[in-house]
Amino acid sequence: MNTDFINICLADDDEDDRLFFTDAFDELRINTKVSTFNDGVELMNYLNNEDSILPNVLFLDLNMPKKNGVECLLEIKQNEKFSDIAIAIYSTSSSEEHIEETFINGANIYIKKPNDFEKLKKILSEVVTLNWQYHTSGLNKDNFLMRM
Amino acid sequence: MKRIGLHKSPLFLKIIFVVSVAIIFFIGGITFKHITVLKKSSAYVSNSYEVNIELERLMSCIKDAETGQRGYLLSKDKKFLIPYQNSGSLIKKSHQRISELTSNSRTQQNNLKTLQYHINKRLNYLSKNLYLVQHEKYSEDELEYNLITGQKSMDSIRLRIEDMIITQKVLLKNRQKDYDSTMNYTPLLIYLTLIITLILITIAFVKMNRDLILLKNTIHTLTVEIEANKLSEIVGNFGSWKLDIETNTYTFSDNEYRLLGCEPQSFEASKEGFLKFIHPDDLEFVKESANNAVMNDSRVPFMYRVIRKDGEVRYFKDMGQVVSFASQNKTYIGTTRDITSEIDDKITTEERNRELESNNKELSAFNYIASHDLQEPLRKIETFISRLISKDHDNISTSGQQYIASIQKSANRMRVLIEDLLQFSRTNKAEKTFQLSNLNCLLDNAKQELAQTIEEKKAVLTSSVLPSLSIIPFQIQQLFINLIGNSLKYSKANEAPSISINYSIIVANEEEFLPDTYHEYHKITVEDNGIGFDQEYAKNIFVLFNRLHNKNEYQGTGIGLAICKKIVENHKGFIFAKGVLHEGSTFIIYLPVEQKQA
Repeated sequence: MNTDFINICLADDDEDDRLFFTDAFDELRINTKVSTFNDGVELMNYLNNEDSILPNVLFLDLNMPKKNGVECLLEIKQNEKFSDIAIAIYSTSSSEEHIEETFINGANIYIKKPNDFEKLKKILSEVVTLNWQYHTSGLNKDNFLMRM
Repeated sequence: MKRIGLHKSPLFLKIIFVVSVAIIFFIGGITFKHITVLKKSSAYVSNSYEVNIELERLMSCIKDAETGQRGYLLSKDKKFLIPYQNSGSLIKKSHQRISELTSNSRTQQNNLKTLQYHINKRLNYLSKNLYLVQHEKYSEDELEYNLITGQKSMDSIRLRIEDMIITQKVLLKNRQKDYDSTMNYTPLLIYLTLIITLILITIAFVKMNRDLILLKNTIHTLTVEIEANKLSEIVGNFGSWKLDIETNTYTFSDNEYRLLGCEPQSFEASKEGFLKFIHPDDLEFVKESANNAVMNDSRVPFMYRVIRKDGEVRYFKDMGQVVSFASQNKTYIGTTRDITSEIDDKITTEERNRELESNNKELSAFNYIASHDLQEPLRKIETFISRLISKDHDNISTSGQQYIASIQKSANRMRVLIEDLLQFSRTNKAEKTFQLSNLNCLLDNAKQELAQTIEEKKAVLTSSVLPSLSIIPFQIQQLFINLIGNSLKYSKANEAPSISINYSIIVANEEEFLPDTYHEYHKITVEDNGIGFDQEYAKNIFVLFNRLHNKNEYQGTGIGLAICKKIVENHKGFIFAKGVLHEGSTFIIYLPVEQKQA
C-alpha cells in the first residue's frame, strides 16, 4: 500500500452528502482514500476493529441516527488509540450551541456544509492539506469554525 | 403625648383633694377652738355676774343683820333679831359660793379673805353690841364706840365689795379683750382659706372637665380607629389575636372568626379553640411556630393550612410581636392573614411559567428545524444546481439555462431569508451576557465579515475611535455588520460607497430624538452616501419584513434592520434613521451610559 495516501473517513446518514463528499475528492487531485459510514454505530465498529486502518482525518456529521456525531466524538476522545485522528465536524447547522459543544469536547475544526459544489471542493482540499499540528496548537474558538 | 397628659391629671387631682381635706380639717379645728373660747368667755361672763350677785347678796345679808339688830336695839322686840340670827349661815353660804366662783383668781381670793376679815369684824361688833344690850351692862359711850367702829367696818366691807366687783369687771374686760383679739383674725382666716379652697376646687373642676373632654375625644378617636381596624381586617382579609402572657388569656378579633368561617365571637377564644381548625398535617408545626413566636418574640411569619367550618382548606400566614405596655403586662399581638388567593395566584403563575417554558422549548425546537432541517434540502438543491451548471451547462438549452439561473436565484434568496430569520429569533432569545468589550475590535470583525463586498464595491470606511462598553459582544458585532451591510447594499450604482462611523457621548435633552432628561448616552452614528430614503418611512424600515424597495432592485429580506432594533433594545438603547432621498442615510444609535444589567 502506498503510504502517501491520506486516509479519510466520513460518517453521514445522508446519501446525497456522502455522494457530494466522495465526488469532491474524486475531482480533487489529492491522494486520498475515502471511506464513508451511514451512522455513528457503523463508524465506531470500524474504528474499534483491530484490522482497520485509522483515518488521518475524520469528518463527523452531527445529526445521525443510532449514534450522533457528539457521542462519537466523546467516545473517540476517550480512547488513547485514536489520539492522532484529526476530527472535523461536518454539519448543516452553524448554531452557536453546536459549535461550542463540539469545541469543548475536543473537535479540531468545524465545517458548515457549503451550498456550492465548488466551495465544497475548496474547503475539503484545504482541510485535508491543513497542517494539523500547527492548527491544533493555535486552536481557539474563533478559528475553530472554518471560514471561506 | 395624649397618654402623658391623661396620666398627669389624676396626680394633680389627688393633690387638690388632699389639700382640700387638710384645709377642711384646719377650718374645723379653728372653729372648734373658737367655739370653746366662746363658751369659756360666756362662762366667765355669767361667772362674773354671779360673783356680783353673790357679793350683793352678801352685802344685803350683812345689811339685813345690821338693820334687824338696829330694830331690836330700838324696840327690844326679839323678832327683829331673826334676820340677824339667820345672817350667819347665809353669809357663810354666800362666802363659800364666791370663793368657789373666784377660785381661779388669786386677787379675788385675797380680796375675799380681806372681805371675810372685815365681815367677821363687823359681825363681832354686832354680836358684842347685842350682848351688851341683852345683859343691860352697857355704857352709852361703849355702845356708841361699838356702833361707830361697826359703821366703819361696814364701810370697809362695802369698799371691799366694790373693789371686788371692779376687779371682777377688769378681769372680765381683759378676758373679753383676749377673746376679741383671737376672734378678730378668725373670720379673715376662715374666709381666706375658704376662698383658696374654692379656687382649688374650681381649678380641679376645670381640669376634670378638660380631661373629660379629652377623654371623650380620645374615646371617639378610639372608636373610629376600632371601626377602621375592623373594616381593614375585612377588606385586607386578615384577623388579629391577642395573648396576655401573664394571665394566658386569648382574645380574637371578629374577623379572625370570619376567616375560620365562624360567626364573630361564636366560641371562646382559646388556643385549643383555634388549633382544632388547623390542618392535621400542619398541627405540630403551628404549635411549635406559635410557641417560638410568643416565647422568643421571633418575628418570622409562618404559613399553615386550616380547615374552615364549612370544610374549605385555606392558607393562613401568621406573624406578630410581643408588646409591653406601661403596666408592664406583656401581651403578644398576632395577625393572621388568609393568603389562599395569593397561593392560588402563585400556583397559576407557576403553571403559566411552565407553559411558557414549554412554549420556549417548542420555539427552540423550531429554531433547530429552521437552522438544520430546513436548510438541508435547500443546500442540496443549491449544490445540485451548482454541479449541473459546472458539469452539464453546455448540454442544456438556452431557456433551460435561464430556468436554472432563476432556480438558483430563488434558492439563494430562500437561504438568505432562513438565515436572517434565524438570526432574528436568536437575537430575541440568546442569553444576554454583558461584558466589557472594545467596540473597535467588534467593528473590525464586522468589516472582516463584509470584506468581500467592501472590496467588490470599493467602499471607503472611516471610523472615529470607539470606546469599550459593557455590552453583548456578538450582538453589537451583528449590529455593525447589519448597518454597514445595509449601507453597502443601498449604495448608488455610479458612486463608490463612503461610510463613516462616529462616536460621541451626549446628554439626552440635547438630542432631537431623545426624551428631555439629563441621562447620558453613548451616541454612535453610521452615515453613508447611498440612495437614502424619504424621512416619511424612517420608522417603517425597522419593522420586520418591511422593505422600501422592490426585491428586484435591491436584495434584502427586511429583517436586518429589525434585528438592529432588537439588539439596541436588548441594550436598553434607541436607534433612529435619518434619510435624504438620493443623498444618503444616517443611523443613530444611543446606548445608555449606565447600563442596567438585564
